[in-house]
Parts: sequence; C-alpha cells; structure tokens
Amino acid sequence: MTTVTRSWAMAIPARRALTRRHLGIGLRLSLLGLSAFVVLFPFLWVLAASLKPPVELNRPSLWGFTPTMANWVEVWLGSPFSRYFLNSIVVGVLTVGISLLVGAPAAYAFSRFRTGGTWLRFLILAAQMLPPALFIIPFFLMAYYTGLLDTVWAVTAAHLTFIAPLVTWFLIGFFEDVPRDLEEQAMVDGCTRWQAFLRVVLPAARPGLGAAGLFAFIMSWNEMFYALMLAGGHSKTLPVAIAGYWTFRGVELGKMSVAILSAALPVLVASFFVQRFLIRGLGGGAIKG
Amino acid sequence: MGRRDRALGRRLLLPLLGLLALVQGYPIVFAAYISFHDYRLTALDQVRWVGLAQYQGLADNPSYWTAMTNTLIFVGGAVTLELLLGLALALLLHRPVPGQNAFRAVVLMPMFITPIAVGLMFRFLLNSQLGIIPVALRSIGVEIDWFGPDLALFSLILIDVWQWTPLMTLFLLAGLEALPTEPFEAARVDGASGFQILRHLTLPLLRPVILAAVLIRMLDAFRIFEYVYAITRGGPGERTETILFHIYRVGFLYFRLGEAAAMAFTLALVILILVVVLFYILRRQEAWA
Repeated sequence: MTTVTRSWAMAIPARRALTRRHLGIGLRLSLLGLSAFVVLFPFLWVLAASLKPPVELNRPSLWGFTPTMANWVEVWLGSPFSRYFLNSIVVGVLTVGISLLVGAPAAYAFSRFRTGGTWLRFLILAAQMLPPALFIIPFFLMAYYTGLLDTVWAVTAAHLTFIAPLVTWFLIGFFEDVPRDLEEQAMVDGCTRWQAFLRVVLPAARPGLGAAGLFAFIMSWNEMFYALMLAGGHSKTLPVAIAGYWTFRGVELGKMSVAILSAALPVLVASFFVQRFLIRGLGGGAIKG
Repeated sequence: MGRRDRALGRRLLLPLLGLLALVQGYPIVFAAYISFHDYRLTALDQVRWVGLAQYQGLADNPSYWTAMTNTLIFVGGAVTLELLLGLALALLLHRPVPGQNAFRAVVLMPMFITPIAVGLMFRFLLNSQLGIIPVALRSIGVEIDWFGPDLALFSLILIDVWQWTPLMTLFLLAGLEALPTEPFEAARVDGASGFQILRHLTLPLLRPVILAAVLIRMLDAFRIFEYVYAITRGGPGERTETILFHIYRVGFLYFRLGEAAAMAFTLALVILILVVVLFYILRRQEAWA
C-alpha cells in the first residue's frame, strides 16, 4: 500500500499533490466518519435503552435520563436468560468441535491428495449453499420421531448441515498455506503421513484452525431459523430468546436491549480476531488472499 | 502420489462424507418423500401419496408467487445496493487515511451480529412512536411510515444493506489489495483521471471478486427470514411475505408439511438456476482474459 502512495505522489508535481491529497483525505475522512456513525448509532441507541428506567422508554432520546442497571440485573439474574446463553455456548462448542474433527482430515485430503477431484470439493461447497427451507421439514420430523425436539442435539445437527462444509472449505485454504517441505521432512525423519499430519501440519495450521473455529462458532451463535423450529422451549438459544422480547403478546424494550447487547458483545470481540482470516478462509484455496 | 496416499485420502474424507450423508443426504431424500405426500403435522398417521399434486398446486397459488416475487425484489434490491455501497467503502478504506484500521474494524461490525437482533434494533429505531428516527424526521416536518404498505419491503432491504454491506466491503477490499500495482502506476504516468482508472482498470480487474461476492451475498439474501419474523411477519397484507417465511408459515403455522417441502424444492431450483447463470458468466469472462 505504501508503494502505491509513494509512486502516486511522485507522478504529479509536489505542491499540487499536497493540496489535492489534503482535500482528498478530508473528504474521505468525513465519508468514513459518516459510515462509522451509521454503523454505531443503532448500538448507542440500544445501549441507552438498556440503561433507561421503564417510564423513560416511551420518550425517544439518547440522554437526559437517570441511568439504571435494573434491566441488566433483571435479565441476567431474574430470568432464564443465562440458561439460554449457556445453551448457545453448548450448541456452538458442539458444532465447532464436530466440524473441526471431521473437517480437518477431509480438508487435508483435499489439499494434499486432491481426493475426489475438483468436483467433490465444489460439491461440498454447494452443499453449504442449499436453502435451510429444504432441511427444516425433515429435521423437524426426524427430531420429533426420535424425541430430540427441544434439545441442543437437534439444533447442533441442523447447524452441522452448513457449518461442517464451511469449516472444511476454510481449512483447505489454510492447509494449502502450510509448506509441503515441513511434512516431507517429518516423513524423512520416520513419521508416517498420518503422524506428519497430526504432529507437523495441524500445529502449523493452528491460526487457521482457530480462525475457522471462531468463525464457525459465530455462525452457530447467530443462527435462528433452525433453532426456532427445533428448540423453542427450555433448550432455546440466544437468538430465539431475543425474539421473545418483542412479540404480539408484549414488548419489553429495556430487557430486549440488554439481551441484544449481551448476544452481540462477545461476538464483536471475537470478530476482531477473525476478520484478518476471513477472506483467505472463504476463498478455500480458490482465491489467494 | 502413491497408492497408499490415495487410500489415506479416501479414509480421511470418510468422516465428513458420513456426517453429510446423515445431516444432508438423508434429510433431502426424506424432504423429497414428504413433498410427494399429503403430509400434515396434525395428521401424521394419515400420510398419503399424492405424486406431483403439491407441485402442481403451487402454479395457481397466489401467495406462493407473491412470496417468490417479494424475495426476488428483496434479493435484487439488497445485493445491488450492497455492491454499490460496498465498492465505495472498499475504495475509501483501500487508500491510507488516519485511523484506517479503526474505521475498518467499526465498518465491518454489523455482519457479526445475529440478524434477529438487527431486525429488532431497527424495529425499535424506526417505530413511529418509540423510535428516534421517525421522531427526528417529524421535527423537521417529514412523516414516514417505514413499515407501512408502501415502504415495508424497502425498509427491510435497507436493514439488510446496513448489516451486509460490510461483507461486500471485506471481499472487495481483499480484492483491491491483491491487485498488481504496475498497471495503476502506468495509467497515472499516462495522465489518466481517477474516474478513468476506476472505470477501465480497477473494475475490470476486480470482476472475478465482484462476481464471487455477489454470488455469496445473493445465496444468503434468499434466506431472509429474521427481519420479517422480527418486524412485519409478512405484513402489511403480504407485502413482506418472503419465501422462507412463507414456507415457515405453511409448514409450521398451517401444518401443511408436504406443500412446504414442495415449495422448498422449487426455491432450491430457482437458486440453482441463478448460480449456474452466474458461473456461466464468470467462466465466459475468464475465457476472454
């Protein structure tokens, strides 16, 4: 990026470059500032609402009220919200664990042996693109017949339909980035292919595995359609719980705001770690990031 | 590559293929079976074969066509706006500017939040009594009913744009960073204007990335469900009834699983056709280059 600016500055006379660049930066800064405002404003609004006493909620304002933690205390300590939070963690961890367990060996096979050729690789990707409408009806009936309705297992199985292929696709790209010399050296030293994979390739791909796992967790954490149909009772996950704060039966804006922020904050923190890896992962060895 | 490697490759793929057979293969076959039967959630012991009747019934089912049309309008509108805004943002973020990394992190935030939370946040923000945006607009004499019959679908598109423009930006930014610098330096030396460079150099070079990003966003936009569930539930009338919401309604509120499964297969077909067309365009353009 620095080379681009330098060459650009050299290409036009110095003084003109300076003023034009200043103007340009001012304009770009204000446009970026505007975008940041549009992104942040809804969060500020919900944060304010979560701190408002009930009477103040009918008055649309961002300030001028006495902040209270009552909503936060009520949601976290006086309602089953913390259990739904835990449900989401359980579903997420199960989904990510299973996806990595079956996805990592498969991705290694795709990246090193080209097993199944390009078409199988893209079939896996295509499988992830099938609409959830196709799966929800059989899944609902399967869960109903097996007595798994309203359990974390039903939601986990549904999440695996799109997260396991996605994780595999991510890992293909990350394994391609591990130099082949590493495992060849290990095999010269007496490891089998499988041992080389476990002891050399997996540790070398750790950042990629972490990013894929974290991204998969976020996908599972945010998913609502399957969770709503398959577990609406005590096994409900966070998105379903959030939806319950504004229904035809009633509105609880303060508590809803707390629930929204509680679900969003962990993911936003995690997102700063995955952003860097996202493009390489989505490319799946097709786009060089 | 030796025979032992090939055998190992197949063994490494087995767990993933087994899992996908269980969570995708079997459910799809089951869904096809359901779509050929009169399968009602209220009469699970009276399932009977009806052949293609469910599919034929869709042809003169006005609600189905309304939902399909709404979905296509939604996908077309949202993806177009996201591409234009995403491109603008990517160009803004590509060149160095003070606070670049902070801006980038903030601008990418919305795509990590669970869509149901985003839907409820905007339902709150745009609510004509409780929301700050209508109140602020009213103070300057503008009265807009965001979720009235005329604007509801458009408002949902805007919410989608708020949440998913960041994904488009992320892709295009990665695409911009991977471009070679030489042609740009040459163009500047030759005195090309910024707009000329964008039109004749940046956009053509970015074309594969643009198509990939549009494809991913399009497939995801077809899954629009949470905003509808959070805000309009298909209304007013059927103005925001999208296909996934309609499948949910027919299957889980009217208990007609067979009909809902048939709709899901037609949706998959529509999506498949669009994907094939996009891939065809992509291939043809690669052939030119």
